[in-house]
Amino acid sequence: MKIAISYPPIVNQDGQKAMVSQNRNVQFFKKPTYLLPVIHGQAATWLRDLGFDIYWDDGNSQLKNFDQWYRDLLKESPNIIVFESTTPVMKFYWQLINRLKSDLSGCLIIMTGYHSMRKPEETLFNSKTDIVLRSNHIDFALRKLIPYIDEHSDWRSNCPIEGLMIRRDENDFFDTGNFKQIEPLDLSPDIDRDLVQWRNYAYENGNFMQTPGIYSTSVIRDCMFGKCTFCRYNGPDLTFSMRSVKKSLDEYQKLIEDYGAREIFDDSGVWYRGEEARDFAKGIIDRGLHKKDCYFGFNTRFGYFDEDTMALLSKANFRFVLIGLEAADEETLNRLNKGYGPGDVENNLQLFTKYGFFPHLTIMVGYYWQSREQLKNTVKTIQNLMFKGLARTLQVTLCTPLDFTPYHQECIENKVLLTEDYDDFDMSKLIVKTPVPHDEYYAAIRSMYDIAFHPKFLFKQIIFLARLKKKDWQFLFIYGFRAIRRVRQHIFNLTKHQNCETKVNPL
Amino acid sequence: MFYKVLNIRSLSPSTYILRLERKKINFKPGQCFNIGLKASGINREYSIYSGINEPYLEFLIKEVQRGSVSSALRKANPGEEVDLHGPYGSFVVSPDEAKHNLFTFIATGTGIAPFHSFIRTYPNIDYRIINGIRTAKEQYDYGHYNSSRLTTCISRDDYWNGFKGRVTDYLKTINIDSTHIYFLCGNQNMIQESYELLRVKGVSGNQIFTEAFF
Repeated sequence: MKIAISYPPIVNQDGQKAMVSQNRNVQFFKKPTYLLPVIHGQAATWLRDLGFDIYWDDGNSQLKNFDQWYRDLLKESPNIIVFESTTPVMKFYWQLINRLKSDLSGCLIIMTGYHSMRKPEETLFNSKTDIVLRSNHIDFALRKLIPYIDEHSDWRSNCPIEGLMIRRDENDFFDTGNFKQIEPLDLSPDIDRDLVQWRNYAYENGNFMQTPGIYSTSVIRDCMFGKCTFCRYNGPDLTFSMRSVKKSLDEYQKLIEDYGAREIFDDSGVWYRGEEARDFAKGIIDRGLHKKDCYFGFNTRFGYFDEDTMALLSKANFRFVLIGLEAADEETLNRLNKGYGPGDVENNLQLFTKYGFFPHLTIMVGYYWQSREQLKNTVKTIQNLMFKGLARTLQVTLCTPLDFTPYHQECIENKVLLTEDYDDFDMSKLIVKTPVPHDEYYAAIRSMYDIAFHPKFLFKQIIFLARLKKKDWQFLFIYGFRAIRRVRQHIFNLTKHQNCETKVNPL
Repeated sequence: MFYKVLNIRSLSPSTYILRLERKKINFKPGQCFNIGLKASGINREYSIYSGINEPYLEFLIKEVQRGSVSSALRKANPGEEVDLHGPYGSFVVSPDEAKHNLFTFIATGTGIAPFHSFIRTYPNIDYRIINGIRTAKEQYDYGHYNSSRLTTCISRDDYWNGFKGRVTDYLKTINIDSTHIYFLCGNQNMIQESYELLRVKGVSGNQIFTEAFF
């Protein structure tokens, strides 16, 4: 049985491709960012280990256009195709699936992803999809499901595996109950790097300071906190889990020694903290991996690390730290359930920079309650942090309610959504009613990105660079060049709707 | 937001109850809060221990060796302020659910905290608790539970007359009522094993709710 894990190239009217971006949402970019879909990579490896034939089919990272991607897929003629959904590309997928079902009769389509897992019937009604996974643990779910389908011709009526919505016929769907991930994450295998063609993801990724960079197999699945309302790692259907430190260390060692990784980033959730973080750092040092010219990075939250842990991580060669700041005012942080106050931010950043980390801040604007004062406060705080050298890079996006997160539900309940057209959820424009004109949020984004070109910030960066070892300069220039290219792209994407407020499809 | 420490009640060398002023904060029994020392920039999540009708907030906290928050909080003096954010989470029982369902609460260690909150909030709730602890000294506030509804599994105490072993060992020996709603709270391994045992014994995944402590 042949299984395709497929990511079609999706191109919008501006010629931009859909790519995974901040908060693992899809945004359209012209310049490439290729992020390895880690959980799908684990699923592919696991299924291959079980004896299935795997066609790893990421049209984006394999630099295919849509027609070439489609032709190649038909040629491969898989028995099952697995897709990953998220709100802004749902309509595209529904059409694509119907076309595929007509060109590849007999091929089963399985839809995964955060959007469809929360609205499985919608995808079954709107397309000829056969199965929707109601879990983000794609690897665990497919490991059970695919062999079951292979061995049972009556799987549509009798499948006992939880967490699925199965099509029985046109309007008859079989719900197998809620999925709950309770098996240890250690059971899921290390990603087979050759199977997923790792080099396609090793260079064009803003989270890599050095290349080749590699995303680790899930160190974490979801978020230990898991309460932020806008975030997809939030919901009773999600269960936080983490790999054992030893298993993660073994993989990091393999990636450095066998694949020559110069940067390993964990993008599978919010990384270890406390004892596990310290044990991991000690493990890196004990194995001598901190002397292999490889940097390590992760996603974290403010409030997770004390000074001793940061010092240890720094010694172990951790550098790139991605942290969501979201907003600078207490009310917004509270409404988003961030779990900390504005005062915690600077404390944490001071420690991170003291130990040589590169904090990359992710900020959002355009919450449906965000006032002019709150917006100004965010811009001012970000400027202050950047000018002080407490953060090295930043990324600003429009807060777009997605995938039926609590924030999305809240927007629906409060009737602040300006559109129901999923195409409008691509994070390129504000789609909620706000207390001040949308243009002010776009202007705020521009102000924040402009910090990167401000003499005060550049001076601070030069002072910072002067403290680094000579060998660090070369990649920092490369990184700086890529960062500026990305900043220009983000400004274009996020401000192209300035003065076009009415372009959102009204309800 | 800052809240004053009212007192710290030591339960054992490793465990204590932190009592904070309540102000006007509302929460649902079982929810969690983020707590840290003022201006430290570090916090951790703790499940509420007290009931919704009590005029204070209480948290059952195990002091983690080399932990940066649990040790510092234990040293806080009455009147000192701590940083508290929340409440958060959906590991809760609503008043309506408490009235109409039968519950089994399965805990290890300080994982009993949210169940204590349920019981303090809903005195008439129909429940059973299976509590896994290491030694008999960890039977904290047992007077607050109906002893006929409480089973204690002790894994490291030779003199214990009750069930000797882990919660999961106990679950293997008993009949499981598949009509109950099961709440599991504590360490991840216990949750993983208990979940599997319950599923094998016929409890639907829709009736099992989990909250892992890390």
